[in-house]
Amino acid sequence: MRADLDLKLSHDGKRWVACNAMLEAQGEDFLQLDAALTEQLRARAEFPAGSRVRVFMGFDFDTLPRWMRQYQSHYFNRYVTIEL
Amino acid sequence: MSTVNRSWYDGMLTTEDWWAVWLGLILFGLSLLSIASVDAVGWMANVKTWVLGQFEWSKVLVPAGKGYKEMSPFASWGVTYVVFTGITCTAAYFMKFNVRKFFLGWTVLFVLLYAIQIVGNEAHLAATRDTWKKYGITAGLSLTGEGSYILALIVGLIIGNFFKGFAEFLKEAAKPEWFIKTGIVLLGIKLGLTSMQAAGFAFEIMIAGAAAAFVAYMLFWPIVYTMGRKLFGLSRPAAAVLSSGISICGVSASIATAGAIRAKPALPVMVSTLVVIFATFELIILPGFYTWVAPDQPIVNGAAMGMTVKTDGADAAAGAVLEVLMRTRAAADGINWQEGWILTSSIATKIWIDVFIGVWAFVLAMIWVYKVERKPGQSTVAASEIWFRFPKFVLGYLFTWLFVLWLGLSMPEVAKSAKGAFDIAAGPMRGLMFGLTFLAIGVITDFSKLKGLGRLALLYAIALVGVIAPIAYLVAWIFHNGMMPPLVIPAAAG
Repeated sequence: MRADLDLKLSHDGKRWVACNAMLEAQGEDFLQLDAALTEQLRARAEFPAGSRVRVFMGFDFDTLPRWMRQYQSHYFNRYVTIEL
Repeated sequence: MSTVNRSWYDGMLTTEDWWAVWLGLILFGLSLLSIASVDAVGWMANVKTWVLGQFEWSKVLVPAGKGYKEMSPFASWGVTYVVFTGITCTAAYFMKFNVRKFFLGWTVLFVLLYAIQIVGNEAHLAATRDTWKKYGITAGLSLTGEGSYILALIVGLIIGNFFKGFAEFLKEAAKPEWFIKTGIVLLGIKLGLTSMQAAGFAFEIMIAGAAAAFVAYMLFWPIVYTMGRKLFGLSRPAAAVLSSGISICGVSASIATAGAIRAKPALPVMVSTLVVIFATFELIILPGFYTWVAPDQPIVNGAAMGMTVKTDGADAAAGAVLEVLMRTRAAADGINWQEGWILTSSIATKIWIDVFIGVWAFVLAMIWVYKVERKPGQSTVAASEIWFRFPKFVLGYLFTWLFVLWLGLSMPEVAKSAKGAFDIAAGPMRGLMFGLTFLAIGVITDFSKLKGLGRLALLYAIALVGVIAPIAYLVAWIFHNGMMPPLVIPAAAG
C-alpha cells in the first residue's frame, strides 16, 4: 500500500510517538496522536490545504524487549488518512 | 536503530524466525551434498550410550558419518563447535545481537549441553530394556539418549532460578524459540524420510491437526475472553491479549493480538512473561501426565500437547519428552512405535495454530479499527499484516519435508544415497538444537517473576486447567482417535 508520508511509530510508556527526520507527533491515544499530526502537517504546509494525506505508521519493534522478537517480530502498522 | 516491517522481505536477515529457516536450510544443504558423494555433515559429534566404569572418549563421542570414523572424538566435537558457532554467530551479527556476549554465552551452553548429553547417555539412564544385556546392566530408566533433554531442562532451571547472575550472562545466547524453530526445519527432513513409507499417515496427521487446531481455537478464545471480562473484570484489551496468550500460541499470539488491537506495548510484555513461566510448568507436568492417563493414545496425546502447551519451544520440547516416555512404556509391553510420529503430531497442531494467529490477528485488527476505534475511512488495515505475522520457519519445515518426500518418491536411488546424511541432519544436528532449547528454556524461566502478576496469573491457571487442557484433549481425541504410529519393522534375521 502506498503512502504520502512514512513515519516510525513507537510508545514511550505513556504516549504514542510518530516521527521521521522532519517531524514528531505525540498522543496518549491514537485520536490525540492523529490530531497532533494533523496540526503539524497544517503548520508545515507541505501538502496543500484541503488535500487528503495518506500516512504510513510503521511500528518500531525495538520498542518491545528484544527477547520477545524470537517469538513474533511484528506488532502492527497503521495506515491513516488525514484531511488537511 | 529501528525495526519496522514495511516490505514483504523485511526481517529476512534480522529476525530469529527467518534465521531459523536459513540455518535449517544451510544444514540441509550440507546434507544434500552427499548426493554428489561429498560427506559434508559426517563430522557431527554424536553422543553414544556408555556404561559407568567403562568410559572411553572414543566410544562416547563419535563422528556421526561413516566416512569420518577415523576422526578423533575431540576433532569431531571441535569441528561441530566451529561450524555451529560460525553459523549462529553470523546470524547473531545480522540480528544485531551483542556478538561477543552471544559467542561467550553460546560457548557455555554448547559445552554444558554436551556434558549433559554424555551424562544422560549413561546406560542406566538411556539404554532401552532390549539392550540391557548388551551393556551388561540389569536395571535402568530406559529413557533413550533423548532423556538427556530432561536433564538439560533441570540444569537450565537451576541456573535460571538459583544462579541469576550467570543466567543473565547466558541470556544473549539463550534463545529457545530460535533454536526450536531451527530444529523444526531439520525435523522436516525426518518427516520426509518417514513419509516415504507412510505418506498417507503423515498427511492425515497434518490435516487432522489443522482441523483440531481450528476447532479448539474457536472454543478457547471466546471462553477465556468471557472469563477475563465477566469473572475477573479485565479491560477489553487485557482480556483479548491474555485470551490469545493462553488459548493460542503464547507469546507470539499475545504480541500479535496486542498489535492487532493497538494495545500499549506494556500489556503483551506482561502477558508474555506469564506465558513463558506457565509453558515451563506445562512442559514439566503434561508429558508424564498424558503418558500415565492414556498410554495407548500416542497421537491423541501428541496433538493435545500441541494445543495445550504455549510457545513452540515448550511444545516441541514437551512433544519430545512425551515421545520418550510413551515409546519407553509401550516398548516395555512389547510395542515398538516408530520414532518421530508423536513429536510430529504435537508439532502439527502447533504449526497450524501458529499459522492461524496471523489470520486471527488480522480479523481482530479489522474489528478493532472498524468497530472499536470507529473511524471508518480514516484508518485501514493492510493485508500485508497477515504476512508479517506469518511464522516463516513453517516455510522451512514444509520445504524440507516435501523436498525429501519428493526426492524419495521421484528418485528413490538418489534419496537412498543421501539417507545417511539426511539422518545426521535430522538426528544429531536436530538433537543439538532441541537440547539447546531445553537448556535455554530453563535458563530464561525465573519463577519468581510470577510475583505481582496475581490476577492475571490466577486467570491463566484456572483457564489452563479448567478450559484449555480438557477441551484440547477432547478435540484431539475427536480428530485423532484411532490413529497410531507405524510399528518398527524388525530387521530380517540372519
